[in-house]
Amino acid sequence: MNGRLHRVPALRKILQAWPWGLLLLSLAGVRLSKGAFFADAYALLSRPFWPGTAQAEWLRSAQRLSDQARVSQLEQDNRRLRGLLALDRSPGAAVSAPVISRDPGGWWQQLELGKGSLEGIAAGDPVLAPGGLIGRVASVTPSTARVALLTNASSRLGVWVGRTQRHGLLVGAGTPRPKLQFLEKDTGVRPGDVVTTSPASTLVPPNLTVGVVQAVDEQAVPAPDALVQLSAPVDAVDWVRVLTRGAR
Amino acid sequence: MGVLHRQRWCGATALAVPLLTLASPGVLKIAGVAPSWAVLWLLPWALVDGPASGAVAGLALGLVLDGLNLGDASQVPVLLLLGWWWGRLGRRGAPIERSFSLGLLALLGSLALGSSLLLQFRLQGHWPEAGWHILLAQTLLTALLAPMICSLLLLRWRQVASLRG
Repeated sequence: MNGRLHRVPALRKILQAWPWGLLLLSLAGVRLSKGAFFADAYALLSRPFWPGTAQAEWLRSAQRLSDQARVSQLEQDNRRLRGLLALDRSPGAAVSAPVISRDPGGWWQQLELGKGSLEGIAAGDPVLAPGGLIGRVASVTPSTARVALLTNASSRLGVWVGRTQRHGLLVGAGTPRPKLQFLEKDTGVRPGDVVTTSPASTLVPPNLTVGVVQAVDEQAVPAPDALVQLSAPVDAVDWVRVLTRGAR
Repeated sequence: MGVLHRQRWCGATALAVPLLTLASPGVLKIAGVAPSWAVLWLLPWALVDGPASGAVAGLALGLVLDGLNLGDASQVPVLLLLGWWWGRLGRRGAPIERSFSLGLLALLGSLALGSSLLLQFRLQGHWPEAGWHILLAQTLLTALLAPMICSLLLLRWRQVASLRG
């Protein structure tokens, strides 16, 4: 019995080798799951070395740079074309002015600026904040200027919805969102449409962003009207640009 | 006329009204609406100094504030009437000094001021849609601040008036 070759391993020996069986099973598991465990473990271990926020920041700044370059190029192009069409008005200077008093929520929706007629600001000049047009200068003193915001109940401004090519009148309502009144019945304006100053405007520079249509009331008579959310944050603005008309 | 208006320092505190209106400190606002500083200053002044001085102070404050605001709506008539009325209240009967009375008077004053502005906007044809909200917020805030601010001013000015008078 002792000299006999064991060609078939005894069941006991197979059972004794269970760790190897386990290894084999786990390898099969790796194969079947296409190495999911290793991929996950690698991801966990290499997480500190992943491309971080810094890299995303570089990419964003590169994107911003390219956008700026594109905008300035388009602006130049636009100016040249407007010059060809003889639509251009005398280009004035932009004066940066600090906001020294702000009361957008009370009875009078107005701002007080820290620069006035000494800097060339005059009544009627458009006032721009980061984000778009916010109002027009109502009165000036030598060193201050008072701005009537677009939300002021007496403010009226002709605007343009670019997507549907419609003119409208932006009427302040004393609330944070002015009302856009249309002149014709069938406007086709939808929430989300961008509202800009009229391309043919002479009171304010053409094609300035004003806001976004937020809700449209189709049932209003005599013509539909819409609520516009201004794109510039009027409550938070602390520096504005006043577009003076230069030597006029 | 009382004696308060002869004290230059007391009259000069009225300068705080246009300055506070311009600065409109954000911590003292409800939903972006500031209290009516003119009412808060005029109430103790008129109570101490009598109807004539109160009416003149109301007129002066109204003219200054009208100059600071856009448009044609005027606060002069209501402030003038309020100054005169509060001045008469201060001269007749027991002196008003309880917080509750001060708050109630400020509430009525602020309500009258806001209503007159709302009416004027209405007559001029542009109706501020947030008008009721502004009226309510300003009235509540003014009435809440009045017991704190007005009673301090009232105590101080009564002291000054009794010393000089």
